[in-house]
Amino acid sequence: MATLSIKGVRKSFGSVEVLHNIDLELEDGGFLVLLGPSGCGKSTLLSIIAGLEPSSGGDVVIGDRTVNDVHPKDRNIAMVFQSYALYPTMSVRRNIGFGLEMRRVDTSSREDAIARAADLLQISHLLDRKPGQLSGGQRQRVAMGRAIVRNPDLFLFDEPLSNLDAKLRVEMRTEIKRLHDRLGTSVVYVTHDQVEAMTLGTKVAVMKGGVIQQLADPQTIYEKPANMFVAGFIGSPTMNFLTGTLEQHNGGLALHHGSAVLALTDIEPGAEAFVGKQVVAGIRPETFSKGEGPSSLTGTVDVVEPTGPDTMVVLDVGGQMISARLGSRERPHPGEPMTLNVDTSALNLFDPDTGNRI
Amino acid sequence: MASRTLQSRFSLGRFVVFAALAFAVCFYGIPLLWLFMAGTRSEASLFSDTPFTIGSWAAFSQTWTNLTSYNNFQIGTWAANSAIYSVGGVLLSLVASIPGGYALALSEFPGRKLILIMTMIAMITPSTAVVLPIFLEMNLLGLNNTYAGLILASGFFPFGVYLAYVYFSTSLPKGVMDSARVDGCNRFELFTRIALPLARPIVALVAFFSFLAIWSNYFLAFVLLSDDKLYNLPVGLTALVSGSGALSNLPANDVPIKKPEVILAAIIVVLPVLLIFIVAQRFVRSGTLSGAEKG
Repeated sequence: MATLSIKGVRKSFGSVEVLHNIDLELEDGGFLVLLGPSGCGKSTLLSIIAGLEPSSGGDVVIGDRTVNDVHPKDRNIAMVFQSYALYPTMSVRRNIGFGLEMRRVDTSSREDAIARAADLLQISHLLDRKPGQLSGGQRQRVAMGRAIVRNPDLFLFDEPLSNLDAKLRVEMRTEIKRLHDRLGTSVVYVTHDQVEAMTLGTKVAVMKGGVIQQLADPQTIYEKPANMFVAGFIGSPTMNFLTGTLEQHNGGLALHHGSAVLALTDIEPGAEAFVGKQVVAGIRPETFSKGEGPSSLTGTVDVVEPTGPDTMVVLDVGGQMISARLGSRERPHPGEPMTLNVDTSALNLFDPDTGNRI
Repeated sequence: MASRTLQSRFSLGRFVVFAALAFAVCFYGIPLLWLFMAGTRSEASLFSDTPFTIGSWAAFSQTWTNLTSYNNFQIGTWAANSAIYSVGGVLLSLVASIPGGYALALSEFPGRKLILIMTMIAMITPSTAVVLPIFLEMNLLGLNNTYAGLILASGFFPFGVYLAYVYFSTSLPKGVMDSARVDGCNRFELFTRIALPLARPIVALVAFFSFLAIWSNYFLAFVLLSDDKLYNLPVGLTALVSGSGALSNLPANDVPIKKPEVILAAIIVVLPVLLIFIVAQRFVRSGTLSGAEKG
């Protein structure tokens, strides 16, 4: 186990800078998720941590060792690749033990370690097969077995579940969480799947354009997004953005949107400076409830999507579409008027010019 | 439904394609078929019977005896020589071209592009064009008329370098190579433990093409070898034909090499190529990358 520090790491391909001064800290035994859309630089950052890609500047420190010029094999890391990257000519047994074989670990110790890893991942019966004879889920397990057998300082996962079907993905996600709880090894995990990020990470770094937009625990990322990108990227359906004017209201502040007035509670101190100005309110779909209240929005039902546990309703509020997550028993009809109350304590305000949280 | 299926099966386009394929099979296959059948016939049968008559065991046996008794089984010596030149040349070309192609595909070093261009130029240069400089070089080294001389000259196989380069730059899974680096492989081990086992198809392909080129090489062997004990099969076959007058209208002589013997000798030249192809194509088509990555 080890800590990880990324200090001012940059990466350029020619004149194109894909990572800009990345700073990160991961505590010993922590689970850091690098989350972002395709092309945000998260996999490049992981490759730099692994030593597979040289950085253009900055330091990577694993434990108390700066590893900028250290070969991947000497960083004591283990990596699980998106493509599994198993050695097709080797048996599962040899695939799992290959890292130990390259480190000249004697055969009996190697066999013991392989057996332990295979047992942990429930693939003992597959040890003599070749990767070509395995299903996608089994290959994924072998790839993980290859990583855990070495007892590394740091696990690196590069979108390990993205090639699995939905059911298997959920199972393997639980498996990864269980493994992390059991082994306690620090993990850096790259994904574009927000559910993976929220469920697995002790820390989530949301990236865009080679910049970390926010680094925090999953709850903070969800409840207090640093900017409109993070707010829109996390959550499904995405956060609603409602533009309005911030005004004084009954000794407090309120957002005026058309005829609707949303009285704000739990306001950040900086919000006072925006009184009289336009702001963007970020409202999660689950903060709506049906009916009148102190802060209500009225509109026309546009689309109704029952999902089983919830009913998703898209409401046209003065030309702006609002998504609301209502109870499963709610069954409004498209075209009919509807009033929704907003829990404004969960509301986020953003500066429309910078997109940053107020 | 059924009639629609039949209609699509007998479309004009398909008929033209199949007709063209059937013509090609006949055009190129018939001479080969004739060659193998003619090997069993006597000289009289070759002239009097229809072209695709199968001869007798007695006729084949007599032809074989005549051929093998010629100059104390000299054709056996030539076949052994061909095997030595081919095995040596193939090994040399593999040792040079597989790592060469790998290095060109996966490494960045000064002059890499120049080497690639030179390889392409060497590849498209007719081999006969370089026979004279090779002769002069071997002469300088005192390797003319030796096994080593022809093997060294045959090991030069730029097409193999190019094939290996294309294979390694397109078919080697990056994830697998990265994984091996994390697992502890250095650059040499990456090649020997990961890339080479994955490259069996290309090794088989390069070996096959190299074997084909060396086994059937006439001109280079003709120029470099003057001692008939060192001839390979193509040069030996020519010597056999010209020495016996089997294919010319020379007056009858006592040499027992006539047309059937020459045909049988030609089969001996062709047969190993067919056998090697059957073995090599299994490796080429084996798909050793199966299961490496997703899918």
